[in-house]
Amino acid sequence: MKLTRRDFTAGLTAAGITAPFIVGSARSQAATTKIGMCVPVTGPAAEQGLWAQNGAKLALAAVNKAGGVLGKQVELVIEDDQTTNPGIVLAFSKLAAQPDIVGFLGSIRSTQVHAMAPDVLKLGKPVMIGGTDPALTHMGNPWLFRFRPNDSYSGRVIADFGANTLGKKKWAIVHSTDAFGTAGGKALAAALEKIGTPAVLDQGYPNQSQDFTPVVLAVKQSGADILGTYFTFENDLGIFARQLRQLGVNVPWVGSPSVVAVSSTKLAGPALYGTYGVADYAEQSSDASKAFGKAYRETYKTAPDIQSSWTYDAITVLSAAINKAGSTDPAKIREAILSLKKFPGAEGEYNFDQNGDGLHGYNVVRNEKGAIVFDKHIEFDD
Amino acid sequence: MDLVLQLLFTGIGIGAVYALVALGFVLIFRATNVVNFAQGEFSMVAAFLMVVFAVDLGWPYWLSFLLALAGMALLGAIFNLGVYYPLRHRTFLPVIIATIGASILLTNSMLAIYGPQPQVLEGWFETPGIQLGPVYLDSQYLLIIAVTIVLVAFNYWFFEHTMLGKKLQATSQDKEMASLLGISVSTMIMITFIYSAVLGGLAGILVAPILFVSIQMGSTIALKAFAATIIGGFGDVAGAIIGGLALGIIETFGAAYVSVPYKDGFAFLVLVAFLVFRPQGIFGERVAEKA
Repeated sequence: MKLTRRDFTAGLTAAGITAPFIVGSARSQAATTKIGMCVPVTGPAAEQGLWAQNGAKLALAAVNKAGGVLGKQVELVIEDDQTTNPGIVLAFSKLAAQPDIVGFLGSIRSTQVHAMAPDVLKLGKPVMIGGTDPALTHMGNPWLFRFRPNDSYSGRVIADFGANTLGKKKWAIVHSTDAFGTAGGKALAAALEKIGTPAVLDQGYPNQSQDFTPVVLAVKQSGADILGTYFTFENDLGIFARQLRQLGVNVPWVGSPSVVAVSSTKLAGPALYGTYGVADYAEQSSDASKAFGKAYRETYKTAPDIQSSWTYDAITVLSAAINKAGSTDPAKIREAILSLKKFPGAEGEYNFDQNGDGLHGYNVVRNEKGAIVFDKHIEFDD
Repeated sequence: MDLVLQLLFTGIGIGAVYALVALGFVLIFRATNVVNFAQGEFSMVAAFLMVVFAVDLGWPYWLSFLLALAGMALLGAIFNLGVYYPLRHRTFLPVIIATIGASILLTNSMLAIYGPQPQVLEGWFETPGIQLGPVYLDSQYLLIIAVTIVLVAFNYWFFEHTMLGKKLQATSQDKEMASLLGISVSTMIMITFIYSAVLGGLAGILVAPILFVSIQMGSTIALKAFAATIIGGFGDVAGAIIGGLALGIIETFGAAYVSVPYKDGFAFLVLVAFLVFRPQGIFGERVAEKA
């Protein structure tokens, strides 16, 4: 039989069309359960993306060691979100095209979660997220499950700790004027109003300010006896902290997580000694947190942080939920996640509400001469 | 009154930083008639060089300082040969675009090497500052102000009383005429780039202990310095200094007495006012005449 050029082309076309189905069929028979993960592999947050992968892989190893999910080993499929909104939409669409992926890990950045949310809704499969904008779990998307306390809790915890634990009443609020800082400042101001101690100063500042003298002098003149802050960038926080101490303001300071971030403590040095901050992850806050910290240090020879703790919890909870559901059906997994109560995680105890929020409080930590130590956990039941 | 004095000191300190970077803008503009948009990145690169020498390698501060400035002189020469020289016969537009490209290259190179985390560089003095009555004087700001005063005096002496300074001035005023008089125009331009890179680097090293060393530090300062240059008068050394100081004081007092969030707005409001009512700046000549 003579093979003509037309036959050859037809053969190639047929092979091209059928190959994905054959491969796809083979994949569906695969012996692993797949979880997709959108994470920065490139872009400005590539380093944090690596920590996020570390946390997820550590949890994956523990899940697989304990028998996996529904009797199969779990496999992580990673796509680079390039630290951008278009990047995460592309990454998620690549993962969503693989029918054998049963659940996903999204981003720690609220803006990226907002970008991918419409596609998540269309796909109808559970996606674990770390973004803290309260709106994410309140916009009618039943497939988003949050593994960090949302921002409405941080303001309440700062106010509660300052007023009830430190006994201070005259608050000065300093916050960035970006979306994060404005929302945080408002949340803290509202929480202070609610407990009957409205702030005596509510001062915004633009990001990347080279000088905070006017802000510090405003705090000094307000007569505040406590300071609450929402700083977005650690270098701004470092400049502010140094100038605050230089100009003689030494009131107690309770801030958002950036106050106790590793880079802030490095930049500001002694200017941040004695300050308090709210933190999702505090190694000494619970037995589960200690166990995660120990395992992480043993594996990666460095201390874990929020970037790795939330992905660790996300993989652990998703795997437990699939086992509890006894199925990879998305609706059944969703039901199983929402039914999880008092589930111990690295970040705290998970009690999912109907919106998909798993955590309802924050840890308060203290800068003890450069070392970040756990002070107390404040939990809300709403 | 205490508040006013504190704000005045800070405003002059910040303004002096803008003035130092603005000086680099002006010198290159005078010599080449183009704006070097990588001037801010010179500050950033110099600060990172200080981190390499003084922090990573642990070498003495004075030695690190001299090596960082030497590194900037080298960068200035490379910048001239790689960015300006090949385009010197073209219109100003390709050269400006090339400087923007170089600025992006320098920023991303430092990002690739050092990552996005800001670095700490200690100041020249162990004492962070002194309390003079009701006013706290930050030692680093005092140093910056002192260096600015010295540089103003040096520039005056150099450009008005030395042959090299006069050759540089002649080149900036009319290249063809300077060439006919036997001045090597390309050498003068090379010296200008080297001097501007060193000046930008000096500003970066001086401000790094206050603002920390980060890849954004150059662009943040350069934007204000550029505004200061326009306010002072593009092409005028005294104008750059006055413009920088004025901008620092205006934004500090504006933030304290009107609004902190709109602090940057005051600086650019002044810039817009100058562009509308006195585009040649305080001391400058008309741009149309320069061309």
